Amino acid sequence: MSAAVDTRPPAARDGRPPPRPRTRVPARTLRRWLPWGLLAPGLLVIGALLLFPLGRVVWLSFQDYTLRNIYTGETNYNWGANYVELLTEPYLWRVVLPNTVVFAVFAVGGTVVVGTLVALLLRSLGRVSRTIVISCVMVAWAMPAVSGTYVWIWIFDVDRGVVRHALTSLGLLGPDGFNWFADRVSFYAIVVLNVIHHGFPFVAVTVLAGLLTIPRELYEAAVLDGAGAWQRFWYVTVPTIRPVFAVVTILSTIWDFKVFAQVYLMPGGSGGNQEVFNLGVWSYIRSFSHQSYGMGSAIAVMLTLLLLAITIVYVRALFREDELR
Amino acid sequence: MSRPAAPAAPDAPGKRSTRTPPRPRRYRRAAGTAWRALGVAVVLAFTLFPAYFMVVSGLSERAVSGTDALLPRSVSLDNFTYVLTEAGFLTYLRNSLLVALITVVGSALLALFAATAVARFRFRLRTSVLIMVLIVQMVPLEALVIPLFLQASDLRMLNSLIGLSIVYIAMSLPFAIWMLRGFVAAIPVEVEEAAYIDGASWPRMFWSVLFPLVAPGLVATGIFSFIVAWNEFILALTFLQDGDKFTVAVGLRQFFQQHTTDWGALMAASTIITLPVMVFFLIVQRGLVSGLVQGAVKG
Repeated sequence: MSAAVDTRPPAARDGRPPPRPRTRVPARTLRRWLPWGLLAPGLLVIGALLLFPLGRVVWLSFQDYTLRNIYTGETNYNWGANYVELLTEPYLWRVVLPNTVVFAVFAVGGTVVVGTLVALLLRSLGRVSRTIVISCVMVAWAMPAVSGTYVWIWIFDVDRGVVRHALTSLGLLGPDGFNWFADRVSFYAIVVLNVIHHGFPFVAVTVLAGLLTIPRELYEAAVLDGAGAWQRFWYVTVPTIRPVFAVVTILSTIWDFKVFAQVYLMPGGSGGNQEVFNLGVWSYIRSFSHQSYGMGSAIAVMLTLLLLAITIVYVRALFREDELR
Repeated sequence: MSRPAAPAAPDAPGKRSTRTPPRPRRYRRAAGTAWRALGVAVVLAFTLFPAYFMVVSGLSERAVSGTDALLPRSVSLDNFTYVLTEAGFLTYLRNSLLVALITVVGSALLALFAATAVARFRFRLRTSVLIMVLIVQMVPLEALVIPLFLQASDLRMLNSLIGLSIVYIAMSLPFAIWMLRGFVAAIPVEVEEAAYIDGASWPRMFWSVLFPLVAPGLVATGIFSFIVAWNEFILALTFLQDGDKFTVAVGLRQFFQQHTTDWGALMAASTIITLPVMVFFLIVQRGLVSGLVQGAVKG
């Protein structure tokens, strides 16, 4: 983690009020309630629009909630039935969960490996070329997920995509072409490519920031001890900036489990091809295409629990960093 | 675990003074340069190709409706003018700008208050608040979209850009607080104390002393929330039902059909919505990265 701002308060902060603020409220009371007054608007918004809905989705997941319930406002509890149905559905285990998890493994692995390689390359460059390459890498990061996804669809378009042209002219593809989006594996291969392209700049820039904090002497010592390039990377670089790797890996994992637009916008992803759904898209389709909000909520709760588990690991990684001081 | 691990000595045998006989240095250096150049070329090709291809396809003539050629045969702004005038994309741009503006102002203001509270005061539950703010960012929008949709439908806010903006404020707030916290903490307390000694009241100190000093941080968080609001897809897709209320992220869909996609228009429109984000990214890349490391959200 780069030497960020030192957030520790000066020692004198605790308890001692600043010299006589001229307010009618006694200083101690002010200092006690002011922080809460300042936090209130933000916490209220977060509470009403993030925490309350989160509670409500759990509540909904125990109901059979359909379009009719929206109009009548009636509740219709079926308790665990949604979860029983969900967990006993072979489709979950055969298609959706593998799509979500296997995809995340490849996407996270790819993002971290590519990002780290680019960071190592960036470190070896001179200042000017490094700045230029970083700016170009930023372009990939800055492309909104929506437009980025359409570009990848266009590149792999069945009829006129550049990939099709290239493969046809090389004689690797017949005149009928190939529909990459119809097959589950090639569909996700494109999503992985898309997500790595969008996600690796964050890893590269963050890891580079970590790399630059490693003292040169460590490498010089390692060279004297006869360590080769790979050994230097494995025994000096990796242990020294392990927290940085932990953070980028966990963050990428969280992001990749939540991938939605990249799947939903691709041909078949918005309902045409059941074989390509992941947890998020499945939940969305169950809710909004089938108006089965209770079932959709149960799927969403599952996804949230998965992410919560990962998040706990993340927060603990940060805690080790004394980030919350 | 927290300290950077010690310079883990490679478990290779101890100090041996014999180094591998070095190849002539000149060749080694030349080879290194060649490898680096190759690496840079590969990285640039991979990162820039989609953006390049997007722009080139958008610049093709309308008659051929987006070209699959790698070099533009003839450059034309046909697609751009079509997208902006006939296809109604201007409306989406206006909607997105409105939404982003409300989001930026709202979240910057609330985040500044909250960040000051956590950076300047020690109080009970402070750590709990910070952890809650951190965890709340992990909640997938896929889970929130269902209850938020039902809520908005109850309140008759489904087609409302204001309603959407308020949700975006909540979405960008945790990260904005996390990011601004560092900026506020970086301001020396002595500055504030000097203001008190000069007889300033707390609100006065806040606006005249703290606010200007933290302005760069506000710009960075503002850009971050702009990008959140500009790019967000799933909520906009669900909330906005009339075509004249679409934001750019949803508006793009009208050019995309599974069989008859208007690639030229789609790529031109994609270019238009990508441009502002790129400009902002290049402005704040530094702050964004350090903020991202501390916070936890991707734009």
